[in-house]
Amino acid sequence: MTPELLPDLTLSLLLLIMAWGALYAPQRSDAMTLFIAFGVVVALIWARLDAPDLALAEAAIGAGLTGVLLMHAARALPDELHQDYRTASYWGALGFTVVASLMFLVHLLYDDSLFNAGLLDTESDLTPRLRTLADAAVPESGVEHPVTAVLLNFRAWDTLLELLVLLFALGGLRQLFPSGQSDDSATTASWPESMTLMSAWTRVLAPLLVVTGGYLLWRGSSAPGGAFQAGSLLAAAAVILRLTGLLPPLRWSSLWLRLSVVAGALFFLAVAAATAIWGDGWLTYPGAYSGLLIISIEIFATLSIAITLSLLVIGEQEDLRS
Amino acid sequence: MNFALLSLAIPLFCGLLLLLSGRALRTRTTGFIVIVSTVASLVAAWFALQEAAAAGADIMLNLGGWETGLAIRLRLSSLSALLLVFTALMHLLIGLYAGLSRDGIKRDYWALSCFLHGSLAALWLSADLFNLYITLELLGLTAVAMVALAGPKAYKPAANYLILSLAASLFYLLGVALLYGRYGELDVLLLAPRTQADVITRLALLLMTTGLMLKAALWPLHLWLPPAHASAPTAVSALLSGLVVKGPLFILWVLWSEVAPPTLAQQIGPVLAIAGMIALTAGGLSAMRSPHIKTLVAYSTVAQLGYALMALGLLLTWQLPQMHIALWLFVIAHGLAKASLFLAAGEMQSSLGTKRVDGLRGATQTVPVAMFAFAVAGGSLIGLPPSGGFLAKWVLLEPILSEPGNWPWAMGVLLGTLVSAAYIFRIVAISFDRAQINPLDINPDRVGHWLALLPALMVWGMALSGEWLIRLLAGGPV
Repeated sequence: MTPELLPDLTLSLLLLIMAWGALYAPQRSDAMTLFIAFGVVVALIWARLDAPDLALAEAAIGAGLTGVLLMHAARALPDELHQDYRTASYWGALGFTVVASLMFLVHLLYDDSLFNAGLLDTESDLTPRLRTLADAAVPESGVEHPVTAVLLNFRAWDTLLELLVLLFALGGLRQLFPSGQSDDSATTASWPESMTLMSAWTRVLAPLLVVTGGYLLWRGSSAPGGAFQAGSLLAAAAVILRLTGLLPPLRWSSLWLRLSVVAGALFFLAVAAATAIWGDGWLTYPGAYSGLLIISIEIFATLSIAITLSLLVIGEQEDLRS
Repeated sequence: MNFALLSLAIPLFCGLLLLLSGRALRTRTTGFIVIVSTVASLVAAWFALQEAAAAGADIMLNLGGWETGLAIRLRLSSLSALLLVFTALMHLLIGLYAGLSRDGIKRDYWALSCFLHGSLAALWLSADLFNLYITLELLGLTAVAMVALAGPKAYKPAANYLILSLAASLFYLLGVALLYGRYGELDVLLLAPRTQADVITRLALLLMTTGLMLKAALWPLHLWLPPAHASAPTAVSALLSGLVVKGPLFILWVLWSEVAPPTLAQQIGPVLAIAGMIALTAGGLSAMRSPHIKTLVAYSTVAQLGYALMALGLLLTWQLPQMHIALWLFVIAHGLAKASLFLAAGEMQSSLGTKRVDGLRGATQTVPVAMFAFAVAGGSLIGLPPSGGFLAKWVLLEPILSEPGNWPWAMGVLLGTLVSAAYIFRIVAISFDRAQINPLDINPDRVGHWLALLPALMVWGMALSGEWLIRLLAGGPV
């Protein structure tokens, strides 16, 4: 029994309680709060698992932006939905969990191949081959932080496609706001005007968020941080500014807005095409410039991620279709 | 390989630039630009096909020039090159319809169809389980956005589609995570020799199969498909039924024929084949009873995917690599025929002003070209010679009939054929009912009707290039 076991068990138990509470809280507002708390616990667990990059991203996106998104959406819904089915789904979920775990355990008992392969043996070396490969290749990648090297060099194609995922999600969101019909009455009312404390606090918080975001972006090449984390912090700043009415609508009709939305993916794709045409192959950065290229890609990606995420969270008719 | 990448990059660039241009271009101009870029992508895909066929073996590319395993690998096989050509061709045919038919389509369709094209191309080329997950996400998101193009009445099916699609992605991702934890590899070809039939592998494969079957609307996880495909705009329905559901099917095929250990594949094979047989009958019966034209066509997608699932199941059961020829011939023949069916159904709906099957009375007289397209494409679904559907069915039946022990499977194919004939002939019979003609609502759009016929003619033309296609899919010299 190691001393770390106690906090680990507490975190796992907390996670389960939060998840259960978020699913089965009687009030919608309680459920949302518990969901945000769930995100924070997940972030803590990632930090405990030595994955600070994931912890940062989870705290910013999973707990922060998703929380705002939920509250924003809840305002558009009728007060409480009918909850008649709750008891049934409660027992259903419990039954499913028990049956699934039992089936897995029984299967594990009858199938001893895992023991033979030494997988359940704590002494065996579980470091994957890829980890060793990646660690060895980091010095040639142009950045010092292994996670950034994986995201923007070894598996840059995944990251490029992930940027497109965000962009396509925005494309889908825009379909919910039909073009041509610009009656402002349809848009939901902004948040209560009398949030004096909130708007005063926002004026202090937003510049801090921008500075922290910039720091995370700059730090990404040598330590945990990078475009996704920085972008989501900037998005958080934009979201609270927009919600307190300090920021005008982000209008889709503005060329600058559209440019910042597509800049990340477009630049990344252009780099890929350029390396395929003039270089050694698709996304093979020329050795001497790889650090520079990665930083430029990250800057454009941060911009796109920030704008896209904030549009996804607070985008309304006037933002997306004006 | 560069031609394949070109075929992938052109639509992505085009879509991004269209998004950037906003409302600066008129919708017609946008459509013209997309069609030109699709033609360029088609030409590039054709050269990639030549390259793949000449190479004789799969061409691999380690992205970033890193060591195998560390880098994501792209694979250009003759199959993936053929699918690149097929994707570009479908986009071209449907884009021509969307751009030239009278009803037109919303501006956003063009950027989204470019993105769909790019996502599919990325999927066909990927040989990495995690990369395949991202392409699945891309595919699902664009497909949902395109369903929502139809406006508020499509929001509910689109939302259901989105939620199921995300749940399916998570199933798949959990499976990938388990496999990575067990073997420490993500590359398909590196995983293939290492996988063992143990409990984690089984669990991972089961989760991934559930997710992929949900995404590909394979029976019994197909219930989201008919409302989503029937409520989308006509051109989108054609793309969704003809192309999008084939993406997850491709991953399912890669997973079971390459990654899974053969003992497990032999165990799952009969299950998949029986699910395919049930899909053929159940989907066909639902199509037969459906009161709406587009729902009928959507249910016929569920039924026809049964053939593909059956081919996959039998491929795994008997470990017969040539069954994959039948699988992919079905996919291509079904894609072309289904595009024609949906376009014809949409045109008939708007010309006759009705969504109901009864409204087609006398359609042979009022909308002859669209009805002809419907009947011709339906002939390929039934498998009448010499259509593409017949070609695929022939390749599927050959190994089944050669061994008396396999004859029960032939009954499944026979039953499926009868049911498909029943729902196609139901429409054709109603359309010949000239005693009580349902009059035209508006003058038919001639261009639209002829463009709906084009894919149907191509699927019958597939028989002419049948030998070439079979040799190409077999990986031999062309």
